[in-house]
Amino acid sequence: MLVHDFDRLARERSASPAISWREGVWTYGQLRTAAGCVQQWLTRQQIPAGARVGLLMRNCPQYVASFYGAMAAGCVAVPLNVQERASVLARQVEHAGCQVVIGDPNHPEWQVLQDALASVVAQSVSIDPQPGVEGWTAFCAALATEGELSPVELPAAAPAMIIYTSGTTSRPKGVLLSAGNVAANARSIAAYLQASAQDRILCGLPFHFSYGNSVLNSNLIAGAQLLLEDTLAFPQATLKRMQDEKVTGFPGVPSTFALLLGRCKLADFDLSSLRYLTQAGGPMPRQQIELLREQVPQAQIFIMYGQTEATARLTYLAPEHLERKLGSVGRALPGVQIEVRRDGRSLATNESGEICAQGPNIMLGYWREPELTDAALRDGWLHTGDLGHFDDEGYLYIDGRAVDMIKVGAFRVSPQEVEEVIASLPGVQEVVVVGIHDEVLGQSIKAVIVMREGAVGELRAVKAHCRQHLASYKIPKVVEFSAALPRTASGKVQRFKLATTE
Amino acid sequence: MSDALREQIRAFILENYLFTDDTSALDMDASLLERGIVDSTGMLEIIFFIEEQLGVKVKDEEMIPENLDGVNRIAAFVEAKRQAA
Repeated sequence: MLVHDFDRLARERSASPAISWREGVWTYGQLRTAAGCVQQWLTRQQIPAGARVGLLMRNCPQYVASFYGAMAAGCVAVPLNVQERASVLARQVEHAGCQVVIGDPNHPEWQVLQDALASVVAQSVSIDPQPGVEGWTAFCAALATEGELSPVELPAAAPAMIIYTSGTTSRPKGVLLSAGNVAANARSIAAYLQASAQDRILCGLPFHFSYGNSVLNSNLIAGAQLLLEDTLAFPQATLKRMQDEKVTGFPGVPSTFALLLGRCKLADFDLSSLRYLTQAGGPMPRQQIELLREQVPQAQIFIMYGQTEATARLTYLAPEHLERKLGSVGRALPGVQIEVRRDGRSLATNESGEICAQGPNIMLGYWREPELTDAALRDGWLHTGDLGHFDDEGYLYIDGRAVDMIKVGAFRVSPQEVEEVIASLPGVQEVVVVGIHDEVLGQSIKAVIVMREGAVGELRAVKAHCRQHLASYKIPKVVEFSAALPRTASGKVQRFKLATTE
Repeated sequence: MSDALREQIRAFILENYLFTDDTSALDMDASLLERGIVDSTGMLEIIFFIEEQLGVKVKDEEMIPENLDGVNRIAAFVEAKRQAA
């Protein structure tokens, strides 16, 4: 299993750097010891295998130690989205049935969350992720335990983590992944990226979502060093760090590359150590791929596709075929089967249908949602909700989404989640939320609101209300007030008609 | 440092990211990124604001947290640039 792979490697490479963050480096040995502290602490608290352990920390070595420590104890790690507000977080913690939450007391919602958690979880532990090497000592001291990491043996089907994605506040949707899922996907990714102890990977993707989680796991079972980047808000500084620290790999989503290419010339930096760029998290415009190829010709570009329900990755396009197959997301990972299906049957080449997948990386289901699970895992296939087709050589192309999901940056947003929040504002009669084109983020959110008779809609009140209840990337960029919504003869709202800006 | 300039910057952030005019919602020294007030794309918008509304060109190498991550930092940066011009 994954944490066994990590444990074995960390023993062998104890003095090698594992994670560098804010001027400090944790070695593999230190990371292993810190994860051992977490595991022993959970055991001493009599937290049993299978119990859910919530994690609320941005990317830092302390997060990684807590994540691996929880999995080593046989617990189910529940990484929480640090961008969410307290009300959503509390609901997710309650839904997951977390017995413990390990969180950063500096998180803006931590104090508010404490009150909400008091009635839900047995205990919450606050661990201040201090930077630098002192952070390691403080972390181990905070848990006041000593002990070796000694991962318990679990069957491959044992639950290992829950990732909340694209649900609504009243109905959170948690993807339940098994120990086998997480290990299989990380090993596949490490293999095709040829991850090794020579790698220095700059990671600005949050570990609490599936792409960031896969970057973490696939590199730490290969002995690579991860350099954590707190923000991509200063692209110039990020590129300079890539140059100065001789970074060998850089994972991003389309908006990451849009930000990097937007204000800077990559060619102005010495990125000769950079051997690859990876892109996932939604389609990247062709021009952007071509611009990257032009500006960093020495780096291989991996275009990849997947979703949280498949742990992270389903396909990748081998860099040597990028030019010939531009626009494709490549072929299935070894061990993964992909079919394009409609009405329960597999479609022929060049026919567009729903992309379905089987393999060791496909989720166990949605936590505590048997109906949603049955709908997604039908006839032994994961139904991704994405539309696509294969070309004559078996390369997959994405044609669109079968469902109304919005993707802001690489984050999935359920329109219903935003609608639910806006509908709770006094005076709102009905509201529909759609995705609209956004130059940098791919999509941003538009809300169309019908107010009750006599009520006056106020733009700022809507946005302020959303900010109070939703992560900032879910706040509608465009808010329109309308007298009525476009409907079909049967009364169904025609969302596509709203997805244009005036 | 000019109070008017600081107020103008704070008002822009309050209006566009916090959707309020309650000045107590934003400390002049607070980090905009760590407090989750703006994200990467928001920072890009703030740079546009500095260039378009405050009339100061932000060079690539000046796009660093010390110049941009907080009301006081932005004000100090803008003032220094204006004086140098």
